[in-house]
Amino acid sequence: MVNFTVEQVRELMNEPENVRNMSVIAHVDHGKSTLTDSLLAKAGIISTAKAGDQRATDTRADEQERGITIKSTAISLYGTLPSDDDLKDIVSKKYTTNGFLINLIDSPGHVDFSSEVTAALRVTDGALVVVDTIEGVCVQTETVLRQALGERIKPVIIINKVDRALLELQVSKEDLYQSFSRTIESVNVIISTYLDKTLGDIQVYPDKGTVAFGSGLHGWAFTVRQFAVRYAKKFGVDRNKMMERLWGDNYFNPHTKKWTTKSTHEGKPLERAFNQFILDPIFKIFSSVMNFKKDEVFAILAKLDLKLATDDKEKEGKQLLKAVMRTFLPAADSLLEMMILHLPSPVTAQKYRVGSLYEGPPDDEAAIGIRDCDPNGPLMLYVSKMVPTSDKGRFYAFGRVFSGTVKSGMKVRIQGPNYVPGKKEDLFIKAIQRTVLMMGGKVDPINDMPAGNIVGLVGIDQFLLKSGTLTNLDTAHNLKVMKFSVSPVVQRSVQVKNAQDLPKLVEGLKRLSKSDPCVLTSTSESGEHVVAGAGELHLEICLKDLEEDHAGVPLIFSDPVVQYRETVMGKSSIQALSKSPNKHNRIYMIAEPMDEELAKAIEEGKISPRDDIKTRARIMADEFGWDVTDARKIWCFGPDTTGANLLVDQTKAVQYLNEIKDSVVSGFQWASREGPVAEEPMRATRFNIMDVTLHADAIHRGGGQIIPTTRRVLYAATLLADPALMEPVFLVEIQVPESAMGGVYGVLTRRRGHVFAEEQRPGTPLFTIKAYLPVMESFGFNSDLRQGTSGQAFPQMVFDHWQHLPGGSAIDGTTKTGQIVQAMRKRKGLKVEVPDVSNYYDKL
Amino acid sequence: MANLSAPPVLSTPADHIFVEDPTVPDSETAQAKRSDRTDNELLNVYEIARTATEIREKGWKRVALQFPDAMLADAPWVVGALDRELAKLGPLYILADTSYSACCVDEIAAEHADADVVVHYGRACLSPTSRIPVLHIFTRQVLDYDQVVQYFEKEFSEKEDKIIVMADVMFQEHVEPICNILRQKRYSGVIGTAIVRDPTGVIPNRKIILGEGQDTVVAEGCTGPDLHDHHLFHISTPPRSLLLTLSSRLTSLRIYPTPSSPYNTPSELPDPSATPGILRRRYALVIRLATASIIGILVNTLSVKNYLPTITKLKEQIAAAGKKSYTIVVGKLNAAKLANFAEIDGWVVVGCWESGLVEQDGLWKPVITPFELSMALAGDEERIWDGRWWGGIEGVETEKRKEDASKQDSGEQNGILNTTQHTDDVEGGVDDDESEPPEFDLRTGRLVSHSRPMRLAAHNGANNKASALNGEVPRTSLQGSSALVQRKLGELAMVNGIASPGAEFLRSQRTWQGLGSDFHHADEEEDELSTIVEQGRSGVARGYTVGDDASRA
Repeated sequence: MVNFTVEQVRELMNEPENVRNMSVIAHVDHGKSTLTDSLLAKAGIISTAKAGDQRATDTRADEQERGITIKSTAISLYGTLPSDDDLKDIVSKKYTTNGFLINLIDSPGHVDFSSEVTAALRVTDGALVVVDTIEGVCVQTETVLRQALGERIKPVIIINKVDRALLELQVSKEDLYQSFSRTIESVNVIISTYLDKTLGDIQVYPDKGTVAFGSGLHGWAFTVRQFAVRYAKKFGVDRNKMMERLWGDNYFNPHTKKWTTKSTHEGKPLERAFNQFILDPIFKIFSSVMNFKKDEVFAILAKLDLKLATDDKEKEGKQLLKAVMRTFLPAADSLLEMMILHLPSPVTAQKYRVGSLYEGPPDDEAAIGIRDCDPNGPLMLYVSKMVPTSDKGRFYAFGRVFSGTVKSGMKVRIQGPNYVPGKKEDLFIKAIQRTVLMMGGKVDPINDMPAGNIVGLVGIDQFLLKSGTLTNLDTAHNLKVMKFSVSPVVQRSVQVKNAQDLPKLVEGLKRLSKSDPCVLTSTSESGEHVVAGAGELHLEICLKDLEEDHAGVPLIFSDPVVQYRETVMGKSSIQALSKSPNKHNRIYMIAEPMDEELAKAIEEGKISPRDDIKTRARIMADEFGWDVTDARKIWCFGPDTTGANLLVDQTKAVQYLNEIKDSVVSGFQWASREGPVAEEPMRATRFNIMDVTLHADAIHRGGGQIIPTTRRVLYAATLLADPALMEPVFLVEIQVPESAMGGVYGVLTRRRGHVFAEEQRPGTPLFTIKAYLPVMESFGFNSDLRQGTSGQAFPQMVFDHWQHLPGGSAIDGTTKTGQIVQAMRKRKGLKVEVPDVSNYYDKL
Repeated sequence: MANLSAPPVLSTPADHIFVEDPTVPDSETAQAKRSDRTDNELLNVYEIARTATEIREKGWKRVALQFPDAMLADAPWVVGALDRELAKLGPLYILADTSYSACCVDEIAAEHADADVVVHYGRACLSPTSRIPVLHIFTRQVLDYDQVVQYFEKEFSEKEDKIIVMADVMFQEHVEPICNILRQKRYSGVIGTAIVRDPTGVIPNRKIILGEGQDTVVAEGCTGPDLHDHHLFHISTPPRSLLLTLSSRLTSLRIYPTPSSPYNTPSELPDPSATPGILRRRYALVIRLATASIIGILVNTLSVKNYLPTITKLKEQIAAAGKKSYTIVVGKLNAAKLANFAEIDGWVVVGCWESGLVEQDGLWKPVITPFELSMALAGDEERIWDGRWWGGIEGVETEKRKEDASKQDSGEQNGILNTTQHTDDVEGGVDDDESEPPEFDLRTGRLVSHSRPMRLAAHNGANNKASALNGEVPRTSLQGSSALVQRKLGELAMVNGIASPGAEFLRSQRTWQGLGSDFHHADEEEDELSTIVEQGRSGVARGYTVGDDASRA
């Protein structure tokens, strides 16, 4: 039975100090959902017996079947600290009640779904990072940690699957300690690498209680603090002092009965305090249970003053172990304690988060409301994703109230990602029909929701595609748009089997693009409906959802294809010139490649068209070696006014130039969206307008003359500058035992992979191989790898960068690249040959 | 006589003449063929005798002769021959440089000459004219039957197949003989065609002849034989719009290219297997128009019957979808002309069914046909793209009627939908000043909020009416007021309570605000470059004074 009511939860919401918003993040298969189970069991949402197996936050059928989490799931819990004493350890404020509201989000670990993690992190303040004892810190651990720090989320760590170390690997106590400290060390390395200074010191230390150890499957976990509390009573010392002694190079010398930092006493080694006081009892329980010495078990239990339930006493082996450990060190208690004590409340967190959350000035009404987490301030709510309802085609808008209070029936301004204050674009006004509390797969209606909480909203899903800002303040700026660590680079086109079903497919595509933060649906110039995802698995899940759920009609999927980008390798060999149709205007242009770093910075939004021109020019001059005057004369970014191509005005004293700027910009947007080689978008190309001659009469230099001419001259400049294709490249991290490494290398080499790092995980036979693999070659890579290594290698792939497609010129049909281009053109229904430059270049 | 070896230079710049002409001549072969033609041949080709008889019979006095560009070289000869035949019955005019496309009758040019009749030479789209009678002379072309039959046998090995034989109008007379030859060769399923002026038929402008004297015009949706299991054999290369139309209505399409034709030899043979690709590209254009807010109606004909009602109909359709339309006539269309209207998001062409398909390179905004527009406006819930395609304006009305019928069919469903929406509204306690939900742009996968700018007007209008019904007096009766109101500076003129989308575009999208605006801009941007104002030259062109210097420079 659920041991709390919605009223209780609502009550707690008024005490934002007693709220903890946290997400559970980790590498795939490190045990997030399993650990979450033990918390749910504690709250009475699922039965204790099932905890660890049920994975209650995996609400979809395919999540259960595949055993991986696909969507992040939010659930609210009610938790208490074991004693009021503990309240004193929370530094920030005096607490009136011992009840805490924990809004928890279980997130997927597979790298293909990391956009879900991003969406989860945005609405939370703290993160429980789960790390596997044996596998240690993996690529996705690093990615999610980096994301969390970017969002100014404070992490705590649990080292999971300790039971495996004991049962399968049979490690010694000291080895286990070393392994723990190595893992903590590598987590702290990541934290200090990506640290945001406003957060202060957020490295994790077992002796401060920010690290827990445990086993989600068996439902037990502990922190050093818990043991410290136990022993503090026994030894009669201060528990904080005890905590420090129970980790690191601290030893208890039984001969002198003194604490020391030396590891030897009179030549004999001493046992580390952590090993002696914490690991020893656990090891004893393990060995006695697994060796079927039941009486020994009961003796230990009696010593620890623990009582086992009668039916548990009958159990044997692992079942008994589970029962004993659960009674000894219930996971939920230590996790709750760690989260309540060390994760920030919304009030604390929003003070330092406001700067990275809010786009507007730091001193306006909305910013102050967010900073103070003020329930009476203006409403500021960020919708981070859409959660499907049982009502087909409708969604809950899932988000976090950062300021003010959201109520059912309240009329709000819905500001989409492209909203600019004062303009009407992407702004809607609508009443919220209902507010709900997200409880895993279910929802509970709730009347209103004050600042600092996570909420589901009914009735505004039609106004937002994936995310957006809700406010009731006319002057409020947007809350910052989330930056995803993955990009939709793998795509497949979708067709209906029966033409009559097209409307259903269209409707399905709309729903699909709402239901996932990362998926992109579009229609290509060649009339194909395209679904793009972060990786093969992501795309597979999306298409399955589309066919079975969103559209519900039989569909035909094409093979996965890769999106390319067009670019140039060199500077235009001659100045490109195009004349307008009436021959009265001429535009001279040169194309040249742009620094990869700059292109990346633009794509990541570090340099954007919205920046102030002068500061942007300074950054570009300092960091990317641009000429300041050039950088100030950037006319626009493209395609879509934000892409990584630049149009730079380098003309001197051209009359009427400002008059044609709009037309040139339009032509540039057009040309950069569909490049000359294969109508793919362009990337990392810089175009310089060298000179322009214009007709003196305004009517002869109108848009009609300039727009098509700009496009032609851009094409000519591109074709003269050694045009090339860029292909997306995955970063692959493969964990593999040494024996199977040959297979991995073989598969990678066959697929144009390029290994750049290989390291052994200390204390294990496992190697981690890092490589770059072109996305084009990644289709079927997983199964190939499985064959090549008889299933011993586990790859994780995430989009990393773009690289030039090797294999000759793109415009020469005989080269390998040329053939790819021709195949692409054919698929798009274009003329197979790339048009010659003479089609666009005019002689003077 | 026919001394001209190439068409004369006309007002259109030379490199633009043939751009949109469906009868693109391969000028070299054309010239080669033309030189060795005898008068007799030409008499036959241009059917001088028949023309003269018709003119005399109908009593027409002033006759306009319309030639496609490729045939203009023969025009003087034709005039001479006709004059002789008619014995100077009345003046003959040569219409050159057709306003829109050569396949249509240029009534406007004919009216300039006050002609009683237009004689149209060459291939024609046979669209009905609105004002002036027309006499179509398709010009007879020779055809090597043996070659055709050989080609046919190569293409069709199965003798039982149902095959419709069809030819370009210029080769129409050869259809019957070829059919006969084929039947003798035991092709039992061969069906011939004959010309009929009905562009809306399943095969535009053709009826199929079923054996002895039985012939049927197969109109769409009628009970005629279903042609979906028929193959088509087309003599000479069809224009692209015909290709698209036919490929959707028949099983397969084979084309016999006619190299012997001096007038109709496009350099490359269109590949019928590529038509699905072309159709898909058209679908992409339709999708683009679905979220366009301003649609330009491009008038590309002034002679096809019904073009005025069609324009009205299109306007209604566009308005009903809450979008804004502008009607624009540009003459022969090209990319530069269309790109002058930056505020327009897409175009719909009102033209004959052959010229309705505008597929030029370098069009800035998509150009689609009225049929495609009805698809685009149908909304995502109803749009079905099954390969049917039609290029002209003739279909608009029938399409509409069908749409209505289908709406009634699904009326029940719609009803349910409406009620659910209604309850939705009630539940939320919605009132009038809430926004309309944005639309999902299938092309980019984003939401667009401005795809139906005129919808607000309709809403406001309705609200006004409603409040009037309730006995309240609308404070600002937008429609009724005729009083002059002072416009505030910088405010856009409002029509029915909403700003004109065109004006809104110019206000929000255009950075160039006229002289002076750029100086201000430059000042802000880089102060170091701002210069000291210097006195310039003054005086008249004979000699200017520079600065204070009295001496002339």
